[in-house]
Amino acid sequence: MLKYDPSKYSHNIRKLDRDDADRSTPVSQLTWQVEGGDDDISRKRRGEFPSYEPRRPKKSRPLGADTCKAPDRKRSEQKNSSDLIQSKRFSIGPTRTDAQGDLDSDEEICRLMAAQDSSHHALQQEAEESPLEVVGLEYSVKSGRKGDEDEYDSADTDELIASRRNLSPLSNERSKGRSQPGEEKVKAVLPLQTLSFKEDSGLEKKRTKTRVLPVLQHGDEEEEEEEESAGSSSDSEYEAMFSNVTRLELSLADLQRLAEEDSQAAGILGSEGDPALAAGPSEQPAPKKGTSPEEILAAILEDSDDDRPRKRKKRKGVTLPPLPAFQGTRSLQETDDLLRREEEEGGGDQMDSRTTETEGQEGEKNGALSQSPVASESSSSSEEDEEERTTETPAAEALLPSQIFSDEGSGEAAPPTLRRKLNAEEEEELQRKANLRRLSALQQRQKKVEEQKKLIQGALANLDAPPPKAGKRIVFDSDDEEENPSQTASSIIQSVEEAAGTRAVANQRAAKDKFSAPQLFDSSEDEDGAEEEENRFDLRPQFEGQAGQKLMALQYRFGTDERFRMDERFLEEEEPDGEAESGLAVEDEALEEEKKKNLSILQNLLGSSKQPSSRTPSKAAKFRDVSTLHYDPSREEHTAFETKTIQTTESKAARRKKREEAQKLPEVSSDIFYEVSGDLKAVFGQTKEELSEAEEENNWDQEEEEEDGGEEEELQTSLLPDDPITTKEESSGFKFSFFGVDGETSSRETTEYKVENIQAPKVSWQQDPRFHDSSSDEEPESQSREAKAEEPPSTMDLFFFYPGDSRLKDGPTLFCRSGQLEEQREDWEERRTMLRREVRKKHKDARRKLKAAPKS
Amino acid sequence: MRPLTDEETKAMFEKLSKYIGENIKLLVDRPDGTYCFRLHHDRVYYMSEKILKLATNFSRDKLISVGTCFGKFTKTQKFRLHITALDFLAPYAKGFGVAAKTTQECRRVDPLSIVVFHQADVGEFIRNEDTLT
Repeated sequence: MLKYDPSKYSHNIRKLDRDDADRSTPVSQLTWQVEGGDDDISRKRRGEFPSYEPRRPKKSRPLGADTCKAPDRKRSEQKNSSDLIQSKRFSIGPTRTDAQGDLDSDEEICRLMAAQDSSHHALQQEAEESPLEVVGLEYSVKSGRKGDEDEYDSADTDELIASRRNLSPLSNERSKGRSQPGEEKVKAVLPLQTLSFKEDSGLEKKRTKTRVLPVLQHGDEEEEEEEESAGSSSDSEYEAMFSNVTRLELSLADLQRLAEEDSQAAGILGSEGDPALAAGPSEQPAPKKGTSPEEILAAILEDSDDDRPRKRKKRKGVTLPPLPAFQGTRSLQETDDLLRREEEEGGGDQMDSRTTETEGQEGEKNGALSQSPVASESSSSSEEDEEERTTETPAAEALLPSQIFSDEGSGEAAPPTLRRKLNAEEEEELQRKANLRRLSALQQRQKKVEEQKKLIQGALANLDAPPPKAGKRIVFDSDDEEENPSQTASSIIQSVEEAAGTRAVANQRAAKDKFSAPQLFDSSEDEDGAEEEENRFDLRPQFEGQAGQKLMALQYRFGTDERFRMDERFLEEEEPDGEAESGLAVEDEALEEEKKKNLSILQNLLGSSKQPSSRTPSKAAKFRDVSTLHYDPSREEHTAFETKTIQTTESKAARRKKREEAQKLPEVSSDIFYEVSGDLKAVFGQTKEELSEAEEENNWDQEEEEEDGGEEEELQTSLLPDDPITTKEESSGFKFSFFGVDGETSSRETTEYKVENIQAPKVSWQQDPRFHDSSSDEEPESQSREAKAEEPPSTMDLFFFYPGDSRLKDGPTLFCRSGQLEEQREDWEERRTMLRREVRKKHKDARRKLKAAPKS
Repeated sequence: MRPLTDEETKAMFEKLSKYIGENIKLLVDRPDGTYCFRLHHDRVYYMSEKILKLATNFSRDKLISVGTCFGKFTKTQKFRLHITALDFLAPYAKGFGVAAKTTQECRRVDPLSIVVFHQADVGEFIRNEDTLT
C-alpha cells in the first residue's frame, strides 16, 4: 500500500485484521484457509504460485490486504501470487466498501479475508488440477479469454456446451456482462466466477467492466446479501482497483503450465499439450463428446483462445452435432485421479454437495474438478451451478434419448411412408405382439388383484389365529410318553399308536441304558446281557392302550432298574380310564351342545333379518367388478355382450310395400288438406248448410263453455261470412261463402259426404281433435277432399312431371301456408281461449274436489 | 365361571348383532376350534375350550381373567360391550350407524330426512385425521 487512506475500508482491513489475528475464529468464520508453513505445498494452497512474470501494465495495488495475515505477507513476496491475491481481495474489498461503511465488524472482515484466501486456495487447486473451466455467468464471456483452460468449469459439460452455444440466452439469464467476450480475461477470478451464477442484484454498472468485476461483486453480494445495497458508489475505486486485471492472465498462464503438467501426469489431456495449439484439434473431439472430461478440457482449451470468432465457429460446430451418449465410467475413472488429488486438497464438502445434486457422474466430475472454489463464497454459487447443471442436463439428456431413439429400430419410429411399405405380414406380426403384450398385461393385472385378495384374506384370517397359539410354548408332536389325557374317542386310537411308538422308544431307551450298562462296567453279566438283548425289542403288551401309556410313564420314572419293571400287574383298570375318557367326551359334548344352543338363540334373534342378509351375501358374491371384465370373443358366455342385429327377413316385396305405404301417407294427407276446389258454386252452396251446422255447433259449444261467451263469438265470427270469407277468397283462392244458396240440396249431399270426410282430418296428425271445433277448417278441407276425389287419379301414375300435374300443386302446399295467415291466427286464438277455458275448468274442478274430499 | 344362561346369551348376542350382524355365527361356530362364552364375576369371556379346561383348575376368587373379555353384565343385566372385543368384531364390522327410522318408514320418507345416525364412530378421528384438520 503506497498510501494509506484511513477513509477507505480496504485500507483498513489489514489494520483490523492484525487485531484479530490472535482471536479464535468463531463458527461463522470457519474457512478453508490453510495455515501452513512456507513450503511449496502450503504456499500453493494459499494461492501463492511461483513467480511466473506475467506482463503487467500496472503493478500498483493500493490495497494493503497483502499484509493482513502472515501468509499473505508471504504471498506478497511473490509478485504473481500477491497480485492475484490483491486483485481478489481488491475485488472483494471495494465492493464491501460499497455496501458498508468503514464500520464493518471485524468478523465480516475476517470472513472476507477468509473468503479471499479460500478463493485463492481454490484457485490454487484449479491451477493444479486439470484445466477445467469454472463456468461462471461469464462463461460465454470467458470464451474470448485466453488461459481459460485454467478456469475450471464448475458447470456440467452440458452446460458448457450449452453455454457455448447459447451465449446470448445465458447472458440474458444471468444478466451479467457476458456480452463482452472480448474483454480482458480475468482468470484469477476463476473461483469467483462461480459466484457469478448468483443473480446480480444490481451491479449492472459493472457489466462494462471486465468480467472479473461482476463476478467478484457477485461473490461479495453473496456474502453480504443482507447488507449490500447493490450500490455502486465506489465504482470508480473498484475500477481503479481492477485495472490490474491483466495481471491475472499471466497467472493463468502459469496455471496453464501447471495444468499441462497435471494433464500429462493424468494422461487424459494428452492432446492438449499446448493449450493454444491444441485448441484447434481438441475442438474437434469436443463437440462430439459433450459430456466427457476430454470435452470439458477441450472447451477450456478453446476458451484459452482469444480468437472469439473462431470460438464462435467452434460453438457453431458444437451446436450442430447432437450430444453423444455419455462416455461412461471409463472416462470418469480417468478423471478419478484428478478427483482424488483435488479431494486431498480439500474441497470435499463442495464436491459432495455438488455430487448429490447433479445427476450422473458428469456433474460429479465437474463438481469435483471445480471444487473450488471459493469455499463460503461459492457455496451459494455452487447452488446455482447445480441448478444450471440440472437445467442443462435435462436438455442434454433430452437430446440423448432423442438420439437413441432415432438410432433405434427405424421400423418402430418409421414415418408413415415406411409404414405403408411394411407388409401386411409385418403388421400382423405387430398386431400379434401387441395382442400378446395386452394379454400378458391383463394377466398381470389379474394376478395382482388375486394377490391383493389373498393378502386381505390372510390378514383377516390372522386376526383370530394368534389367540389360540398365544403362548410361546412350542408344542412338539407328541412323541412323548406323556399323552394328553383329554382325548376324545377318536384320538384314542391315535394315542394307542403313539403309545406303541413311544413304547418302542422307551424300550429302546431302556435297551440303550441296559446296553450302556454292561459297557460301562466290566461285564460279569454278559450272559444276562445277551439274553436281554434278545428280549429287548419284544412287544410288551402291558404298555398298550391308554393305561399302558400311563404305565410307561411310570416305568420311565423308575428308569431302567430291573427291580422296577412295569408289567401287566401294574396296569390300571380299564374302567376308570374309560370313564375318564367318557367324561372328556361328555365335556366336549357339552360344549357342542352349548354351541348349538347359542346358535339357536342366535337364530331366534336374527331369524327374520337373516334371510335378507343371506341374500345379500349371495348378491355380494355375485358382485363382479366390471373393470376387470374383459370381453373375450373366444368365450361363449361373452356372446351375451354382443349386440344382436335384428335380421329383417322381410321379402323385397314386403319392403317395397312398406316403402310405398310410407310414401303414400303424405300424398293422402295432401289430398285431404290441401286440395283447392274450383267449384265456387258448390263451395258456396255448401257453405250455407255448413253455416247452419256450424251455428248449431257453435251454439252447442256456447252452451258448453259458459265462461267466455265472448270467445264463442269469435268462433261464430269466423264462420260468419264477411271478413273471413273475403280474406279467404283473396288469399288462397279458396272460395266459398256461407251464404251460398244455390245447390243447397246438392250441398247437403255433399255435406253429408263431407261429414264423412271430415272425420279423417279430425284424426289426422295435422288436426288436434280436441280443439277441432271450428267448422271453418272443415269446409275447405271437406270441399277439397271432395274436389280431389272428383279429379281423375289417372294422372298421378306418371313418373315425370307434366304441366298441370297435381303434384305441382300439391307440392307447394306442403310447405306453403294452407290457409290465410289471419285465419290461422284467429283459429289459434280460438283454440287458445278454448284451451285456457278447459284448463281453468279442470283446475277449478280439481280444487273443488280437493275441498270437497276432506270436508266429506 | 359358568356358562351363560339363555337370557344372558340372548342379551349378548343382541348387542353383538348390532355390530357384526349375523356374523356372530362365525364367532360361535368356528372351524378351527371350539370356542365358548363363559361368565365370570359378571364378565363374559370368550375362550377356546382348551383354555377353558385349563381355567377350571383355578378357584373362582383366584381366577382373574380368561381368554378375551367381551364385556360385562351390569347390575340391571344389560350387556356392555368392551373394547377388548374389538379384535373379534373388527373383521365383521358392519359400519357405523343407527337407524333413525324404521325400515318401513325409510321406504316412505322423503329423500332429505335423516335415516341413519352416524354416531359412535370414535375411531373416525384417528382414521381420518389427515383429512379432518
